[in-house]
Amino acid sequence: MSLLEVKNVSKIYGPLKALDQVSLKVENGEWVAIMGPSGSGKSTMMNIIGCMDKPSQGEVLLDGADIAKESNKALTAIRRDKIGLIFQQFHLVNYLTAVENVMVSQYYHSMPDEKEALEALERVGLKDRAKHLPSQLSGGEQQRVCIARALINHPEIVLADEPTGNLDEANEGIVLELFKQLHREGTTLIVVTHDPEVAEEAQRTIVLEHGRLVREIVNENFKED
Amino acid sequence: MKKQKMFLKMITASLIRRRSRMLVALLAIAVGATILSGLVTIYYDVPRQMGEQFRNYGANMIFTPAEGGALSQADIDEGLTCIPEDNVVGCAPYRYESVTIVERPYMAAGTNLSEVQKTSPYWNVDGAWPSVSGEILVGKNVASTFALKPGDSMTLSYDILSPDGKPATADETRDVPTRDMTFRVTGIFDTGGNEEDYVFLSVEDMTALTGEEGGFDVAELSVSASSEELQGYADAINSKSIPLSSRLVKRVTQSENTVLSKLQALVFLVTAIVLLLTMICVATTMMAVVTERRKEVGLRKALGASDASIIMEFMGEGLLLGGVGGLLGSFLGFAFAQAVSVNVFNSSITFHFLLVPLTMLVSILVTGLSCILPVRSAIDIDPALVLKGE
Ligand SMILES: Nc1ncnc2c1ncn2[C@@H]1O[C@H](COP(=O)(O)OP(=O)(O)OP(=O)(O)O)[C@@H](O)[C@H]1O
Ligand SMILES: [Mg+2]
Repeated sequence: MSLLEVKNVSKIYGPLKALDQVSLKVENGEWVAIMGPSGSGKSTMMNIIGCMDKPSQGEVLLDGADIAKESNKALTAIRRDKIGLIFQQFHLVNYLTAVENVMVSQYYHSMPDEKEALEALERVGLKDRAKHLPSQLSGGEQQRVCIARALINHPEIVLADEPTGNLDEANEGIVLELFKQLHREGTTLIVVTHDPEVAEEAQRTIVLEHGRLVREIVNENFKED
Repeated sequence: MKKQKMFLKMITASLIRRRSRMLVALLAIAVGATILSGLVTIYYDVPRQMGEQFRNYGANMIFTPAEGGALSQADIDEGLTCIPEDNVVGCAPYRYESVTIVERPYMAAGTNLSEVQKTSPYWNVDGAWPSVSGEILVGKNVASTFALKPGDSMTLSYDILSPDGKPATADETRDVPTRDMTFRVTGIFDTGGNEEDYVFLSVEDMTALTGEEGGFDVAELSVSASSEELQGYADAINSKSIPLSSRLVKRVTQSENTVLSKLQALVFLVTAIVLLLTMICVATTMMAVVTERRKEVGLRKALGASDASIIMEFMGEGLLLGGVGGLLGSFLGFAFAQAVSVNVFNSSITFHFLLVPLTMLVSILVTGLSCILPVRSAIDIDPALVLKGE
């Protein structure tokens, strides 16, 4: 059984089909990139997979259960327990320090554990920035805090919507390096990107246009290093 | 336990690190709490203050002798047994006698001068009250007639015996034996009333001047009690077989009550309005806070925060503000009440410790109520909507 199975999903906003009969399977441990022009439905897709939104039609099976049929309350629980989210605009709580931001995620999931949170920050190379507020961190550092936060509860699937969209090349490299590490450790990754270089790092790239899945490219050069 | 710690850390960090917005809410709560605790303090203190204030306008009960007799000290004392001792602020008996000062007739009152100070605290004395025998307090009109100043001497003449049994009058020049006594004027008083035509001396000096002990014509009492209680005392005294009748000085006691109840209603109304305004201000501020923090709320939801968690966090912040604002307000309110009391009533008030938790509780309640709508709008935030885009 696939970890995630999207079956004929449509999302309709009035006259607009943001997603139109999209189907997709993602296996456990896979790294998938989603590309496509602006407005093609990438974020809509991510929101549905991330349990922040429900499809108008179709099924979304996560671990075999159809999340399209769940109540909002159940979706919140699934989001908390199974999904790690990374955003283009970082979205850190601006009055909490880096380590506290990581602990917020633990707080909603189970128990805040400062030691574990610090270890997560160490992993993204920010141990010495743990007590800084987001405003005292660079964009790249903020995104690394977000990655640490997304990983802290060991989610089954990590969803990143344009994670490098606001970063320079050097920071993009650092983030990609972290993704590679995650992939090696067996984390399932779905990354939305505009950047072909970022997409190239994934095992497989799907391309959306006008809400339809138009192409699927398997990365021949992908090496499990 | 660790979870509570994180909760506290989050809400305090939010309050401390996002100062300006929260200061507005805190200020609103503190002002509301100040008015609340201040007015409640005044509310409870005003009856006492007003009671004292009204008593300043004179006695509220008088004893008069029955049927043309005179009051004896024993009668007065027996009458007083009907009033709880602690409630008797003062009881001044008066013995009036006609005297002449430089051939002019005047009234002299023999009384207990220290009691007069209690029953008539509004007397404005230039100089001092007599403290020893041979001293006299002179009414303003008498003093101006004879150009008397404190420290001057004056002589009172009392007709020992007049041929027709009556004291001499001004236009008569009869050869009546008189007893003259010289007094030292310690003070000159004005009251705005006809006491200003009198002179006041001690009962003992009056006895010495007239050569005989006499009864009193009237006794004025200042009693600290409600008008119902006062009436009860008066009835009790009248039902006893003492040759005196007791009655209330109606005007003062009744106006005291109407003014009080009107004042208390006003205090109640003002407090309610202020609390309502506080509530509106806190609700508006919290609403702005929620709007300002839409992204944060969306993020928390995206991270898996349940509605209950969001409610708890905002309410936690609100209630913490309410508590701190209430604490601040209860002390500021005391200062406010004290200032009012000193300026209006010229007396200080005591600090009621119970008012601190009470004010805090009301502030927390008011903040909690004001947070209901903002918190509801926070719950309605859709994370997918607020987190996307700029
Ligand atoms: N809540 C909404 N209501 C109405 N239309 C929406 C809503 N959300 C998205 N859309 C529309 O759906 C379409 C797909 O939007 P989506 O955000 O998924 O695009 P995207 O591929 O992520 O674009 P970008 O690369 O610019 O982020 C767009 O045309 C957008 O205007
Ligand atoms: Mg998008």
